[in-house]
Amino acid sequence: MHFINVIMCRITLLLCFFIASPALYASDDPLQSPMWDYLRHVFLGDTPYQFDDRIIVLVPPFAEDPTQVPVTVDATGLSEKIEKIVVWADLNPIQHIYTYYPLKDVKPNVSLRIKVQQATPIRAAVLTRNGHWLIGSTYLDAAGGGCTTPSVANASPYWESHLGEISAKKFQRKTFGRYKFKVVHPMDTGLVGAIPEFYLQQLELRDAQGDALVKMDLSQPVSENPVFSFDVTQPSAQHRLWLRDNNGNEFEQPL
Amino acid sequence: MNKLQCLLCFLLVGLSCSVFAAKLAYSLEPQKIADDTWLLQGKLEDFSRENGGNIVNTAFIVTAEGVVVFDTGPSKRYGEAMLQAIGSVTDKPVIHVFNSHHHPDHFLGNQAFSDTKIWALPETGKLIAQQGNAFAENMYRLVGDWMRSTEVQLPTDPLDIVAMSLMEVGNHRFRFYKMMGHSGADLLMLDETTGVLFASDIVFFQRALTTPHTPSLSVWVANLEQLKNLQYTTLVPGHGPVDTTGLAIEQMVDYLHWLDKTLMGAASRGLSMNEVMALPIDARFSDISLTRSEFVRSVFHLYGRYEEASF
Repeated sequence: MHFINVIMCRITLLLCFFIASPALYASDDPLQSPMWDYLRHVFLGDTPYQFDDRIIVLVPPFAEDPTQVPVTVDATGLSEKIEKIVVWADLNPIQHIYTYYPLKDVKPNVSLRIKVQQATPIRAAVLTRNGHWLIGSTYLDAAGGGCTTPSVANASPYWESHLGEISAKKFQRKTFGRYKFKVVHPMDTGLVGAIPEFYLQQLELRDAQGDALVKMDLSQPVSENPVFSFDVTQPSAQHRLWLRDNNGNEFEQPL
Repeated sequence: MNKLQCLLCFLLVGLSCSVFAAKLAYSLEPQKIADDTWLLQGKLEDFSRENGGNIVNTAFIVTAEGVVVFDTGPSKRYGEAMLQAIGSVTDKPVIHVFNSHHHPDHFLGNQAFSDTKIWALPETGKLIAQQGNAFAENMYRLVGDWMRSTEVQLPTDPLDIVAMSLMEVGNHRFRFYKMMGHSGADLLMLDETTGVLFASDIVFFQRALTTPHTPSLSVWVANLEQLKNLQYTTLVPGHGPVDTTGLAIEQMVDYLHWLDKTLMGAASRGLSMNEVMALPIDARFSDISLTRSEFVRSVFHLYGRYEEASF
């Protein structure tokens, strides 16, 4: 009888250990995303990181239109110099949205619109010049379907004669200037049957000498006919916008 | 014996859960708003699993010939409850049903009226055929089991209001108006016999208006100006309480002007969509329910156009 009790006791202990183990190994992700560990590895590698509330990721309370969800990443609260910001959506079929490199004369505050396939955490991982990764996150609620819906362009030939057309405007904000521009492009994700991926991949905001203020690598989840907004600290200077899509088309325009 | 008792206990607990699970029932109480005219007023809420989508006003008129129904609600279950509510007031059969527009809370109860003529504007019929299933799917997501067995039942009879702007049913004379401001094809019905105007979703009252398919806010305002000239005594909005004072239309026009001005101002300052969604809403609209969430939705629906115009 005593022997059985000992066995029972051990089994119970073992069970306790198994039940407790997920808690021991749970990730530190404030949003408890099942994809955090995997995507952290993909985008940050094995380098150390920390979650940081100074990085603001703004999304609406609900993705009313899953093909045009506004995402604002504001890292102006950081005192550290920024090397790049990587933005992704954990539960999108294509997670990477963009990588943003602020090179000179810009405030790290970017707005654009994206497609989402379902409710998902949105991340903005900031790599500082001294090699630290700081992560801002937020949760976006959505019904879904944004990435697998054919672009509006697909039903209308308008884009064929207007591809890459850029409309732009400079706004004087309190202490800085804001550029907002729209580029005509289908931004096809490749996830809709018989419509290959066709999207803008690179963007640069350049000064009169051709030096870049901002570089961006874009991915398929950026919305059709994307509208970007950037804040610049020298609003009176002359700037140009340059973009290239995955078919090699280049578009350039003075702003 | 002990084990048996335990098992019995588990079974009983399991059974009681299913027996006492909340029964989903719309308690629709017809409210008499004029002679022969009954309103089923929805809640001033958004779709939820608690309200089963009963956020909409539906109405029926008991004429000498039979019953005329204006909008059928958000689900098959609602349509059936509406039929019961009608039965509590009259024994006459339903002979005409009207769908005011193609939004799910106004036509998904059609199944309960499948042996009746269901009238709608021709454009509304097309829009329901195109988008009805997607709307229904979304309703299953939003309100859950209340939607059980609900399927899209298309309107049977296109209402050509040029050929037939007037319909006499029993002792009632109905006049129809076609507008566009809310959904692109909005049917309004004026009962000239009682002076009741069924304004569909061209008018919301004390509940923030929704903009997913509006052609433009100025078209909507023009529609409301047109309504001011109609001869009626009682206005039944698509959502919210009945109005006899004219306040509902004033509130609509006031809010639409404010929304237009706010979005235009935001676009001219270069605000991003998220910044616009966080803008303050004027205090004079604070008594209207759901203003913040509908404002956010409207920014989604409309701000791109204002942004475009600002380039």
